Parts: sequence; structure tokens; C-alpha cells
Amino acid sequence: MYSRFYLSVLLISGLVLITFLVFATYRELNPEWKKYQLEYRDLLIKNAPNEAARKKAKSIKIEHQQIYIKPLKKVDRCMNCHRGVDDPLMKDAKVPHKLHSGDYLKKHPVSKFGCTLCHYGQGRATNKKDAHGKGRDTHWDYPLIPFKYIQSSCAKCHDYLFLKDNGGEMVVEGERLFREKGCRGCHKLNGVGGDLGKPLDIIGSQPIAYFPMKYVVGERNTYNWLKQHFLDPRKIVPGSEMRVFLSEKEADLLTTYTLTLRAEEMPRQFRAIRYTTPVPKDGESLYKMYCVACHGNGKISAYDEILKRTIPAIMNPAFLKIADDKNLERIIKEGRKGTPMTSWKRTAAGLRDEEIRNIIKFITKDRPDERPEPFDYKRFVTDTKHGKELFNVRCALCHGKDGKGGKDHLGLNLRNPAVQKFVDPEFLAMTIRDGRKGTPMPAFGKTGVGLSDQDIADLVAYIRSFSDKGKK
Amino acid sequence: MSDKNPEKGEVSRRDFLGLAAIGTAVLSALGVLAGVLRIFKPDVHFEESKKFKIGKPEQFPVGTVKKFDDKKLFVFSDEDGFYAITAVCQHLGCIVYKTDWGFQCPCHGSKYDQMGNVIGGPAPRGLPWFKIEQLVDGSLVVDASKEVPKGTKYIYV
Repeated sequence: MYSRFYLSVLLISGLVLITFLVFATYRELNPEWKKYQLEYRDLLIKNAPNEAARKKAKSIKIEHQQIYIKPLKKVDRCMNCHRGVDDPLMKDAKVPHKLHSGDYLKKHPVSKFGCTLCHYGQGRATNKKDAHGKGRDTHWDYPLIPFKYIQSSCAKCHDYLFLKDNGGEMVVEGERLFREKGCRGCHKLNGVGGDLGKPLDIIGSQPIAYFPMKYVVGERNTYNWLKQHFLDPRKIVPGSEMRVFLSEKEADLLTTYTLTLRAEEMPRQFRAIRYTTPVPKDGESLYKMYCVACHGNGKISAYDEILKRTIPAIMNPAFLKIADDKNLERIIKEGRKGTPMTSWKRTAAGLRDEEIRNIIKFITKDRPDERPEPFDYKRFVTDTKHGKELFNVRCALCHGKDGKGGKDHLGLNLRNPAVQKFVDPEFLAMTIRDGRKGTPMPAFGKTGVGLSDQDIADLVAYIRSFSDKGKK
Repeated sequence: MSDKNPEKGEVSRRDFLGLAAIGTAVLSALGVLAGVLRIFKPDVHFEESKKFKIGKPEQFPVGTVKKFDDKKLFVFSDEDGFYAITAVCQHLGCIVYKTDWGFQCPCHGSKYDQMGNVIGGPAPRGLPWFKIEQLVDGSLVVDASKEVPKGTKYIYV
């Protein structure tokens, strides 16, 4: 009897296997793309200009359509479904059979460039979901690029000068915005820029895992991350210190530009770069490129919610009157330790001396002609105790009792190492004496509140003693 | 038992079970074998397509000799039609150039006449001719995977 049992098992397993085989065969013979190619053939028969062409259309083979781009070792099978993409007869057909828009394919034949070089997506995939790289379970880092950012692909081979008049204006505008919004104040590009943010050289080709996607709304891909992060950095990365205030359109432009910053370089035979894009090196452009993100127009000194500190007004004439070029150059070159102000010298953020001089020239364009009356600090014998009394009466209201400034105070943080270590006592004294016109800082000298030079010297001595106390 | 009429040639119940079991086993084994063999025949290869779109017939008026450098191919057009001849020398694979009398290979001096037949040098055989097809939209396609006899010319409009 045992044989009967085993025969039944054999029969049942055989039947199950055959069922699977039938199913597999069916799937093999009816892939997703076949449906589209059959539709394409029907359209072709319908649109054929004459009888001979119709006959030819009836006999086209339904088979894999593959483009192999030898120099890139790239395989695109998009034409499995989009077979009409370079067929002029498909001008009025619907997607996916539609002819490619514009006349791009004239100079970029599909056989040489393929599709994913510009549009991204997974070229080797043979079903829609994987090919477009949509959805989280496709695990494809470069999904189909939204149409509004497609110009970023042009910049792989073309320079801005060409793109300006040839359908790449979004990249060009984005690049201009990138310069003028001061992105490089915090981000390095080609080795030049601040170090508060991440370098952006290859940001456009970073894999999805590089970006914290937790708070991204909609499809979790690089495109959405960049756009939403430009619109509200703190929504996407809580606690981010990025200072951007952009309109919807500007965010799109900058996203387009950012996507052009990629790691891979196209082989020479693809590139049409003339390397003649002039990068402006005048003071104003440089100021916008590197300084504007924090200092804005340089006229307002206010507490900043994002950086959690008061940003000094560096183009305020009263400040410039006291700060001479040498002083400014030292601040820019060495930065302000303990603040977000980066050291901008050649070996740090990467600015050349000549560029720094141009920036200083721009900042100081409103400097008043008259020089301040010098304050000979060393002449005075100082009394920090008296200084402290004066401080608590005169200064604590704005700078805080402990001199730390902060959120509820108008004044700067005086305990800051930048103030403590890198500001001359003379500079402090002159500032107290003459005040800062254009900021809430009043003049405490004879022209204003009426403190004597001795009082001011005592105050300076007390302020400078903060750092000593810190050490004890 | 079930073996009631074995002499009449009717299949008994146990035999039926046995036959069906073995039949399905053989069938499914064949199916699996077919599936395994299918693996050895890929739909597409990881290589450049052997078919090249070369343009519309009106781009090749009578008397045209056009060399496609990246495709290693000559395309001709005369009164009798279009034809395509490879530019790859059959000796060691250098690229031949067109002369008044035919083709000349720069490497080892192989000479071919207008039809691609060997007339001198070390080449073991003549230059192959390729099939030219026409797509529905009118553009011509050279199929370098399909050799045709010398002298085959295609008339397309």
C-alpha cells in the first residue's frame, strides 16, 4: 500500500509544479512591455502613410528594444514601452507611444545618448515601476527626474553660456541664485566656501540614503528632498542652521542647479563645454557669494533665530569708521572663533587674498571719510570694580547682566571669544565712546551719555576681564 | 481489489494512479528542463545593437558614398539602389578606405575591388555586404548581423 501513498504524493507535487510552470510560461510570454508594443504596432498601422508602409507596419517584430551606449557601458530598455519615441509618425500619439517633444533627438539621437542619461530611471528594467524607479521598494537612487528639473541634465555636457539661450535658462538662473544667495558662505564648492554646511560638489548624485528622508512629503527621492529643504530647511532637518528664504520658483531653480552638481563626468565625446563661463570676481558678487546668507545687506544688526546669535552689521558706517582695512582683513582671514564666522583665508575656506581685498573694498564703500578720534587705552590705570558698577547700570540692560546678550537682549554677546581675544581694547573703547550709529548701541562718550574716558577705560577693562573669570 | 478486468485492456485504478503520477513527474521535469535551457538563450545581449539607423533615402542621392566611422560601414547609392559594405578589413580588422578602384587597407596592403572582392594582399575573403531595411517612417536601417550576397542592392523611396 505504501506505493499508493507515494504515487499520490508524486502526482500532487507534479501537478503543483506543472501549475507553476504554466504560470511562469504565461508570465514569460506576456511581459508588461509587450502590451505597449502591440499598441504601438496598431498605431503604426493606423498612421501608416501608404499601403506599402502599412504592410511593413504589420510585419514589425514585437521584441526587446535595447540601446547599448558603449562609452558609458549603459543599457537602456525604455523603448520597450516608448518605442515611438523617435518615430515622427507618433507625433500625435499618447504617452508612452508619443514622439519625443522638441527637436532634442535631432542632435541627441537615441542610439547614441539613450534615455536615462538625461531622464534617469533604471534603464535595464523592463517594467514600468522599476524602470521609473518610483516607490520605496524599487530601491533605485536615481528615479525618473520630474520634468521641471530636466534642464539639470543639459548641464552635464553644456556650459552656462550655451544653456542661457538654448533652453537651459533654469540652470543658469539657478546658478545665479546660488551665487547671490550666499550659499558658499557655508558650503564648499570646488574647495572654496565656508564649512558650516556640507560640501556640495556631488550633492546632485548622492544616493537617496544620503538624505534624511523622514519628513519629506510625497515620494521620498532626492528631487523632493532638495525642493522641500530649500523651502523650509528646519522642516526636513530639525535644528538645521541653513538660512534660506526662497519663493516656490526660486526653490525650483536652485533644485535644478543643485542637481547639476554631480560626481560623474561625461566622456569627452559627449561633452560640449567651452569653459568660457565668466565667474564675476568683483567685490559685490563675491560678497553675495560668500557673505550675504548671514550678513544680509550688512546694515541690520539683529538677533537671528536660526543661528541663535546676533549677526553684526558689517556695512554700518559707524562700524566701518572704527574698523580699518587691516582689522577687517584679519577678521575675514582668521574668522571669529566660537562663532559661525569661518576663517576665509586660502588654506581654510579657500578665498584668495585678492578676493578678500575686493570684498573689503565692497564692504567699506560707505565708510565715512573722517577717522575716529584715537583712544589711547594704555594711558589709563583701570579699575575693574568701577567698571563693573558702570556695566550693571549702563550695559546690562542690552548685553545682559553676565554680558552674554542672547535672545531677549538687543546687544551682542560680549563673552564671546571673538570679542574677548580678537578685539583690541582701543576698538572696544571707541565703540563704547562713539556708539554704533544705525544699531541700538548708543554713544556713551562725551557726545552722548557723558561718560569720561576714564570710565570707558574701566568698562573696557571689566569687559575684558570676563575671559579671565572664565579661566578661574 | 481494483484489478477486475485486466485482460480487457482497461486501465486499472492503481495503474491509472501510477501512470498519472509518472506522467506528471516526467512532464514537470521536462518543463523544468525547458526553463533551464531557456536561461541559455538571452533576449538581448550586453552589446551594441547590430542595426544602425542611417537616415532617410533622400539623404543618399544616386552617386553617394558615405562612410559611417563609428559604425565601420560604407553606404552607397547608385542607379540600382542602396547597398552597405563593411569597412573592416577581413585580414586583421583595420579600417579600409575608399579609392577610385575599390578599397585599400592601410595596414597590410589588402586590396578590394568596387564590389569588395579581394584583388590583392593577405585578406582571406572579400568585404561582406549587409542587409538594408526600411522602417515604417521611411528611414533606412543597416543590419550588420545579416550578410547578403555581393551585388544585392535595395530600392527604397
